[in-house]
Amino acid sequence: MNRLIGRVLATEKNPTTMDKFSFWTEQNEKLNAFDIVKVKHLDGSFTFGVIENISHITDATSFLTNFISSDFGDVSVEEQTFRVGMNYAEAKVSFNDCYLYTPVHNNAEVYLATKEEVTFALGLKDVDNPLVCGSLKMYEGTPDEINLPVHLNSKFLLGPEGAHLNISGISGLASKTSYAMFLMKAIQDQYLSSSNTDDSVAFVIFNVKGRDLMAIHKPNEFDGNTKLHDKTLADYAEMGLTTDPFKKVRYFIPFSEATSAKRSTYLDPDDIDDYINTDILRKFKYVYEDDKESIEMMFANTDDPQQTMESIISKIIDDDDPDFRNLATWADCMEKVAEKSQKGSGGKGEDISVLSWRKFKRVFRKAIQDDMFANRADSQKHECRLGDALKTIKPNEVCVIDIAKLPEDKQAFVFGDTMRTLYNLKLGEYDGEDGVAPPSRLIIFIDELNKYASKDIPKGSPILRQILEVTERGRSLGIVLFAAEQFRSNIVDRVTGNCSTHAYGRTNSIETATKDYSSLPGTYKNMLTRLEQGDYLIQNPIFRSLLKIHFPRPIYKQFK
Amino acid sequence: MNAIKHSRIMEILERETGGHSYKSHKYSLDDSERSPVEYGEASKSIQWKRRGETKDIRAYVSLVELSHQIRGGEQLFTYFLDGSRHVYKVDDMGFEKSGNRTAIYPIIAGQIGIGCCRRENKRMYCEKFEREIVVAMPDIAQSSGKKQGFLTATAQKLNAGTELARISSSGWKFSTILSYKSAKEEREYNDKGTAQIQNRMMENEQKMVANLVSEKKLNDTNFLVKDGSLEYRPSKAMRNNEREYQKFKNNYDYVIGVSKKFNPEVCLVLGDKPNPGFIAKLPPYHRTPVAYFTDPDFLGDIGFAVWYIRVRDQARTRTPFDGIVKVEKILVTSGEVANGMDSDLVDLISAHIINERNPVCYGSDMRWANHLYPIYLTERYVKSHYLSTESFLHLF
Repeated sequence: MNRLIGRVLATEKNPTTMDKFSFWTEQNEKLNAFDIVKVKHLDGSFTFGVIENISHITDATSFLTNFISSDFGDVSVEEQTFRVGMNYAEAKVSFNDCYLYTPVHNNAEVYLATKEEVTFALGLKDVDNPLVCGSLKMYEGTPDEINLPVHLNSKFLLGPEGAHLNISGISGLASKTSYAMFLMKAIQDQYLSSSNTDDSVAFVIFNVKGRDLMAIHKPNEFDGNTKLHDKTLADYAEMGLTTDPFKKVRYFIPFSEATSAKRSTYLDPDDIDDYINTDILRKFKYVYEDDKESIEMMFANTDDPQQTMESIISKIIDDDDPDFRNLATWADCMEKVAEKSQKGSGGKGEDISVLSWRKFKRVFRKAIQDDMFANRADSQKHECRLGDALKTIKPNEVCVIDIAKLPEDKQAFVFGDTMRTLYNLKLGEYDGEDGVAPPSRLIIFIDELNKYASKDIPKGSPILRQILEVTERGRSLGIVLFAAEQFRSNIVDRVTGNCSTHAYGRTNSIETATKDYSSLPGTYKNMLTRLEQGDYLIQNPIFRSLLKIHFPRPIYKQFK
Repeated sequence: MNAIKHSRIMEILERETGGHSYKSHKYSLDDSERSPVEYGEASKSIQWKRRGETKDIRAYVSLVELSHQIRGGEQLFTYFLDGSRHVYKVDDMGFEKSGNRTAIYPIIAGQIGIGCCRRENKRMYCEKFEREIVVAMPDIAQSSGKKQGFLTATAQKLNAGTELARISSSGWKFSTILSYKSAKEEREYNDKGTAQIQNRMMENEQKMVANLVSEKKLNDTNFLVKDGSLEYRPSKAMRNNEREYQKFKNNYDYVIGVSKKFNPEVCLVLGDKPNPGFIAKLPPYHRTPVAYFTDPDFLGDIGFAVWYIRVRDQARTRTPFDGIVKVEKILVTSGEVANGMDSDLVDLISAHIINERNPVCYGSDMRWANHLYPIYLTERYVKSHYLSTESFLHLF
């Protein structure tokens, strides 16, 4: 039911334009930023606008007028008559149903829109390849409240039309991981129910905090809060999603010796046993012979202006190198490196100095001290080489790689190596191997992207290079990066620039003052600083404007 | 009829009166001078007889406590009325006289708007609004001088014209044609025409008050505050009809007039000599004793209670008279006429007026210190409905 709420204002100083218009409303009319209004326009058409700001004015010409109205500063004075006031809202034109973009006229009637009209005005009607990305509320807190699911065209999120998702927001309050998981849940649901055999998807997720993502195949227990449980499930059902947690999940934790006091995961030993018994968990290792090419990932954050580290790595991975060929284990390699670092080892004709070898040795030794750098993986003991396991990823599978307990340099190593493996997989480098049949789309989710693609990372970082490869070429190859970070402004522009979908969660005002947010109207920027948990502003090419959406609580098990 | 349809206002007037339009310069008369009729106060026959309230008060009355007590309670003033007019000289017209002479007279036109706003829960709403366009012509414009209904009929013809068709949808119409005396006097014709329009405005105000009374809107808890003086001159017809006259007076039982401007020279408060200093020294939130006055020549036997209230501290205003309002109330019952107004009612009305001092219209009206905000809003409401000077003059 359309309700008349105001009239368009057009004055000499504040004209209506093709893009914007203002309208007045009664001062108690409840409206919010992002609400859609409908304006009567030429030829019986209607122009729809998105509210960007609402102001309240009175006939007081200055602050002084109000001060004087309190008997010159008596705070207890109550006025006998309310000062005449009104609200006026500024709205951005989003659409005209007859494609008439002549400015709306003065005094034109402004109505609330119906659910169908909102869908239409936002470009959400009859979306191809619909993928639910949340729900939005219009006229919140009023009897006219509208709640509708928001669908985006999955081809604009997963390729080939557009790919990659960037989620930004401060930790804890923005729920970045939960939102990425919600989207992946929606994608898995869609592909599981799809009969299209040509299009398939698989997920590789990095668990970077505690046990957060280490039980995504188990349902959320909501701490026994049945009301919350029922509501969340109802929200999922309303959006057309199943109420099950993730399916086809496999977990990979870094290998550590049973005798070692140090543990490599936050997962409980009981859970590990349980997962192993149900055959969904493997302990991953890096084997020198197969993984030596990834040694460069250990140097991702090391400055290498003279490229001496790069020279050493090239030497190590060179199968014809007289020093490093035929080495079988990390220990062999370390021994050789130690030898090269000896005083006086650099004979004539050596182009790498002993000092460089010593620098390499320091980083390398520290890196391979971890148990996961081993001689071989024993499948009988539920061990695997991560690269091998990822090569055989199957459609709809979700691989969770636990790097939460690894030190930062090793996290980078695992991430960089995985990115490279998956990129090569999609490039077809392993096509000849047994069991390699990658799905047409691979989604990689990594939190804390700032660790690998921040503006402070050395330009030559192999991980950054890999991320750029994925964001720039991944769309056509079928590798999609879902990345999250606290501060978007800190991320290399080439990475964010290649993302088709952007989700802005709650952030702070220092962040919104950066140029990354300069295209947003002031009200939206302020709104970003007070978004509720579970609220996001979404930007996607198919939406006619930025949308404020809400997504439900996670459906998979949560750890406190 | 077709000829009328496609004619401008002055052409129709020319045709109907047989005069000749000189198409002279059109301009607004509002800026050049204020109201030429100093009705009421300037009258020489004004009489300040005695005290106008029941108690014998000779000093200022403090209302600080009372106004504080009733603050936040039930409102007393519910309706606010304001009438105004804009007057223009729209043409000069020549009328043939004996001996082949032609006498030229100005044609004065005006827009009159009367508005009444209602206050509910501290918010203002429009209760009634009326507007009209009137033209004042010399009496000799009507050649026969006797034809009944000539002026109204001519007004009807003006309404049928093309010019008015454009604005009639928003409520504008020619109500009547007023005539001013063409006899040579001291006063200028422009002033005479303007006075006619002013009188018409006051008549319309009275009609609106009468309507509110007949709709039983006014009572002892819902007073009407009228902007300006209540010194309406009763018409001759009214004076001759005792019943009508009493009815007219009864209409003002719950009406007070609050004036922002008054002539300090005639501020006679108890005594027969002017004593403007007595008012100038009025302390804040105090009132003067009530004076009773009549003006037999101008107002007939209507008696008024008049007093002054200071609503703002003198330290905060420009002149000693800023922040003082003059309140008038027509004495209706014989008891009131004999003994004056009940002093308690005077105090109550005064305390309520004091509480009306906030909010103020500082910054948008020079007279902010004397303005009561609901009146100000009513005034703004009425003025917002006027045609702009350009649009109005273009009609002629």
